[in-house]
Amino acid sequence: MLSLSSYFSVTYLALILPVTVVLYAVLPQRFRRLVLLAASYIFFWAVSEKLLVFLLAATCSIHYFGLWLADMQRESDACIAAAPKEQRKELRRQALRKQRVVLAFAIGSQLGTLLVLKYTPFFTSNINSLLQFAGSSVQFEIPAFVMPIGISFYTMQAMSYLFDVYRKIIPADRNLFRLALFMSFFPQIMEGPICRYSETAEQLWEAPKMQYQNFLSGIQRIFYGVMKKLVVADRLNLFIKNIFSGYENYDGFVIAVAAVCYTLQLYMDFSGTMDLVIGSGEIFGITMPENFKRPFFSASISEFWKRWHITLGAWFKDYIFYPMSMSKPLKKLTVKARKKLGNHFGPLIAGTIALFCVWLSNGLWHGAGWHYIFFGMYHFALILCGSIFEPFALKITGKLHISRSSRPYRCMQIIRTGILVCIGELFFRAHGLRAGLVMFKKMVTDFRLTTVWDQSFFTLGMDRHDFLITAVFVVFLFIIGIYQEKGVVLRQCLARRNVCVQYLCFYALIMFVVIFGAYGRGYVPVDPMYAGF
Amino acid sequence: MIYVKRGIGILTFLLGLTGLLLVTSSVFVPKNNTEESGMEEVSANGILGEKENTIDVLIVGDSESYASISPMQLWRDAGYTAYVTGTSAQTLDYSLQMVKRAFLTQAPKMVILETNAVYRDVSGEKAMISRLGEYFSIFQYHNRWKHIRWDDFKGDVNYTWTNDFKGYRHSKAVKSCEKKDYMKETSEIADIPEGNMEYVKEIKNLCDEHGAKLLLLRTPSTLNWNYAKHNGVKKMAEELGCEQIDMNLMDEEVQIDWEKDTRDKGDHLNDYGAEKVTRVLTEYLKETGLFQDHRKDSVYAQWNESLKRYTNVTGL
Repeated sequence: MLSLSSYFSVTYLALILPVTVVLYAVLPQRFRRLVLLAASYIFFWAVSEKLLVFLLAATCSIHYFGLWLADMQRESDACIAAAPKEQRKELRRQALRKQRVVLAFAIGSQLGTLLVLKYTPFFTSNINSLLQFAGSSVQFEIPAFVMPIGISFYTMQAMSYLFDVYRKIIPADRNLFRLALFMSFFPQIMEGPICRYSETAEQLWEAPKMQYQNFLSGIQRIFYGVMKKLVVADRLNLFIKNIFSGYENYDGFVIAVAAVCYTLQLYMDFSGTMDLVIGSGEIFGITMPENFKRPFFSASISEFWKRWHITLGAWFKDYIFYPMSMSKPLKKLTVKARKKLGNHFGPLIAGTIALFCVWLSNGLWHGAGWHYIFFGMYHFALILCGSIFEPFALKITGKLHISRSSRPYRCMQIIRTGILVCIGELFFRAHGLRAGLVMFKKMVTDFRLTTVWDQSFFTLGMDRHDFLITAVFVVFLFIIGIYQEKGVVLRQCLARRNVCVQYLCFYALIMFVVIFGAYGRGYVPVDPMYAGF
Repeated sequence: MIYVKRGIGILTFLLGLTGLLLVTSSVFVPKNNTEESGMEEVSANGILGEKENTIDVLIVGDSESYASISPMQLWRDAGYTAYVTGTSAQTLDYSLQMVKRAFLTQAPKMVILETNAVYRDVSGEKAMISRLGEYFSIFQYHNRWKHIRWDDFKGDVNYTWTNDFKGYRHSKAVKSCEKKDYMKETSEIADIPEGNMEYVKEIKNLCDEHGAKLLLLRTPSTLNWNYAKHNGVKKMAEELGCEQIDMNLMDEEVQIDWEKDTRDKGDHLNDYGAEKVTRVLTEYLKETGLFQDHRKDSVYAQWNESLKRYTNVTGL
């Protein structure tokens, strides 16, 4: 009867989290870490049942390979230190080669599981299409696998651990339980943030004593997340579902509004979940990395991706973009290109190759479908265009005496970025690439306001009140965002106020959710959107 | 000392929150049981406008209940008063709520639970909101913020509306279905979703407290019912010590003709099917000897008026 498909479920908010908090608060330090580990595994089992074995296998695998890598490094370091100076380079090269083989095997086992479970149906159906196109009658059966929830997230954590051990950024962990807790910490297992071992493993194992202020602060953040999810994300769902499933029946204006609404929904859903996740961690005194930093204040697409799903972007940057850019073949290419194309366009060639791989991976990470790949390529193209045209834009604005740091120019950039993001999300949400293209075409060629004039716009899943409350909340978030951009930490300001003001803020937050939340009869709870990726 | 201070702080906060919820609940609760006043499920909640202690039989359940049992026919043929508080896709948490709500002003001698609802999953979230809604109506009627008026801030609650059909939703539509052997005997028992048994127990306890008899009734439906489910309900009835009737196994008595007695291919009955089910139910209620004929009682005069309107509309 109690479902655990979401952090917003009663089971999580009224059972798993409070019980864990109480046990964590009353038990001594040596048991607290075990409480967290037990809660994490119970939570994962409640969501994925026997698929828990995949998490266990991933944890044991990285533990084993991590230690193997560390042993190899220790042995090779000792060997190199004892060897004559002229042989050291060669020995180092040989040792690295061996370590790379082990690393490749370790990464292959993690990535392989993800690829098989998540992408086999996609690849098989594409192979079938190719065979059909080639006139072959051979068709493979498309398999359907059940994936453990959060596999895309914990696999990234597992791989980052292996890379970091290989790069000697962190020591290999001999404590399997500490590693298991890092991999499975229950508030983040479903939707991230994708943490690095150096960020959370020690904190979690240390299991700090609960602090009253952390507790209050965590609860505040949880409610803030619940507000984003229940007041806006779930409310918008009714409208978005209608438009995207029956886009043929609607004109360009309705589709454009749906694209904006979907972008908002995705942000409110995912950032709301992150507030809840980070708030849950705060209660235990665990600081997790932020995943959002007011992305809609971005002046360019590349800035947007530094503010949206930050931990995923950072992962791709650290483990795909930089290693590729710094690889010998691409370095050589940069040197050659720099000579021929100059200092701006020269390095761009190698960077573009690395960037292409990042965005292909980003698209595929979100899902096995051509529209996800298109989504990745769309952002790749936008970022690339931004880099190519940057010198021209500088020249033009310079000649026109437009100050690039002026407020109107920045506003224009923010609006432009917002529009480009919404177009990208339209393809992301559409039922396939073809549907996305048709919707985009309608937006351009069939933009009419008929549904607004005849009022039928307000019968498509959201009435005028729903739009009004969504707008009010968005304005509220926008104002908070402006303060945060100025460096004001509102929660710290609130914590300094007297208790009455704090209570009033809590009451306002709670009553806003109670009154304006999209729950109860007439609403269907929406599963967290990023948990499916 | 710091812990005492914090304890008092938390307690004060919770008291304030309770007060706030109570105040907003009093504003958001519909002031009448009409659609204009923001009442949900008006047809079922028409029972709130009935005169106190005038309902003999209370019926709860999902759409099967309001499509199969006609209280007006029961009144016409036996003079017993029944009200169907069944709603579309009703889950047991809501059934329980309706029973509780009815017992506040009525003293039915029998509560009939249409058992299709027994196999509907109750989501944890909705169940919690239902429970909270019993204490703070704001959780149930929060969506009324869209239509709140000044009167809501000052008005008292006064339910005045009654439903002439007493919760029955009539339909003469005929969409026939084949008479298939959907009740093929088996020893299999369809599991009742976890937690649903607790709801039925709670309904049973409530009935016991108020001196009412609980009857588990399954009305005919080729689409929703089978023998395994019958076995599941039979087992539950035995465990609870209450009576159960499965009209899907009473072909000879009920004589449903699936060519013309269903409105949607065997999912729900239409007026003709409901007429047959109500006839058999009337006989059963007569046999219990629990009820009196109120047709000549002036307190129930309104029922005769409703019957006229019911006959005019349905032609039954």
